[in-house]
Amino acid sequence: MKQRLYRERYLRDGEYVPAKPVKRLRAAVFGRLAALSFLTSIGQAGPASAADLVVAMPNWPSGQVTANIIKTALKKDLSLDVEVREMGTMTAFAGLASGQVDIHPEVWLPNLNSLVTKYADKVQIADIGVSAWQGICTTKQTVKKTGIHGVKDLLDPKKTAAFDTDGDGKGEMWVGAETWSSTAIERIRAKSYGYDKDLQLLQMPEEMGMAAVDAAEATDKPIVFACYSPHVVFKLHDIVKLDEPAYDAAKWHVVLPADDPDWLAKSDAPVAWDRAHFHIAYTKSLATRKPEVTKFLESIDFTPEEITDMSYAVEVDRISPADYAESWVEKNEDRVAKWLKGRGQ
Amino acid sequence: MKPVSRFPYRTRLIAGISAAGVLLGSLVGISLAQVPKTQIYDTKTRTWIAYDSRKARKYYAANGQVPEAFRKQVVVFRTAEKPGTIIIDGNQHFLYLVKGAGQAVRYGIGVGRDGFGWAGIVRVGRIAEWPTWTPPAEMVARDPNAVKFAGGMPGGPDNPLGARALYLYEGDQDTIYRIHGTPEPWSIGLNVSSGCIRMNNDDIVDLASQIEVGAKVIVLMQGASLYKGV
Repeated sequence: MKQRLYRERYLRDGEYVPAKPVKRLRAAVFGRLAALSFLTSIGQAGPASAADLVVAMPNWPSGQVTANIIKTALKKDLSLDVEVREMGTMTAFAGLASGQVDIHPEVWLPNLNSLVTKYADKVQIADIGVSAWQGICTTKQTVKKTGIHGVKDLLDPKKTAAFDTDGDGKGEMWVGAETWSSTAIERIRAKSYGYDKDLQLLQMPEEMGMAAVDAAEATDKPIVFACYSPHVVFKLHDIVKLDEPAYDAAKWHVVLPADDPDWLAKSDAPVAWDRAHFHIAYTKSLATRKPEVTKFLESIDFTPEEITDMSYAVEVDRISPADYAESWVEKNEDRVAKWLKGRGQ
Repeated sequence: MKPVSRFPYRTRLIAGISAAGVLLGSLVGISLAQVPKTQIYDTKTRTWIAYDSRKARKYYAANGQVPEAFRKQVVVFRTAEKPGTIIIDGNQHFLYLVKGAGQAVRYGIGVGRDGFGWAGIVRVGRIAEWPTWTPPAEMVARDPNAVKFAGGMPGGPDNPLGARALYLYEGDQDTIYRIHGTPEPWSIGLNVSSGCIRMNNDDIVDLASQIEVGAKVIVLMQGASLYKGV
């Protein structure tokens, strides 16, 4: 994904330090996928800390929980005084480079490749990552009722009429928030595949898109929507990803609205999104200062399901990231011990 | 009530995106088909049954209440929205009050012939008991019966706003849309009102008693939100 998955809102959020309601920030991946490649200014990571280590905490749930798991485990098992400090990704990277920040819990790639390259001599990306994806989803009951399994089925207006709510005979489909650049790409994909002809594409805030899924599930109504994983919707509902041709860089021709007013006509992408992944990042000096910590960080191997669980705990069960982290470390004592010993131990 | 369509927050709709990539803006002006007929969801057979104004009046006359689907009930509703949030589904004529633990209270609603004309995330800015209704100027000009209420019709059983009104705000601004009661309880489940969201009086009283000012309201972008003529 060479395109800038980015929106100004997320650039701002990325730099925004104070705590904000989780709900608004649920935009998660697309936001996180946010394009720090547009980096124009670097903030300061805050005052020097009296703590042994500073972990940057982003403003989305899984990043908040991971930051707190790192803190809790290092405090419990290595008796380190760890401060979790809320900050945006750009600020965190600047802090990692300057030594004011030691760890970032969740760095999204390839979206942040440019930032990683820029700070390559100062910032280390842990080897193990969590894989992520985005695409078009439906619910299991929709598959049963409509026989829609793949994106190619969306080309059949008889099938997509099941998604009609306003009586015009055409189905509707949420393709993302107006503020996400991924939404423009979903429009490109809809045009490229051809299902934009018989489906009305809707863009609206994620909370509305997700509440529509909740309401459809509550009454067994068919629904189709743009989706990304990890995400709580997979734990809330029985969600199925539609099949589509694999990503092919040779077929991915994406021009974004910011770059050309004729972007849609000039774009063509009749294939799946490329896969994404996210990793822990840490300041390179940590390897000499506290090798036991880098050994630990390089061993952390969360699964996508665990990431979803973190988001679910914070967003649905409304448990604070710090509380969830505490109980997670307690329940996963052996796993944490294994991480502390290092990979392959 | 026929609210003037000046809702400040119009979620955007992309209708029939052309190859030229013209982004059609707000809902206004987008030509959509006729308003569909209501269907009732039968929870026993898990199917949808056609429902219209004639059937509604007949059912209400015979039973003294609306069909089961539109009566207040606790339903399974899994969501990441927090308890106290209202979710309005104009397509299925349901209003959900999220209760947490995978449940919601579901109420039947009536929506406008012309739909809501909007969708979005707003909040309850004010709650009024037996609110005064002031007919819009164009209704006063058109309807001789409305003239006597030009200065406001006091709250009461005949008042079109019914027993309670939840005034929907975006930020600090009144959107002019309300969730309110009705003196026409048979009309729940239909597309008969003039734009607001109506509930029967017992339901709006019940809802209002559980709602705090500031409660989040999500009006889904489907069904009535997409109807033409708004």
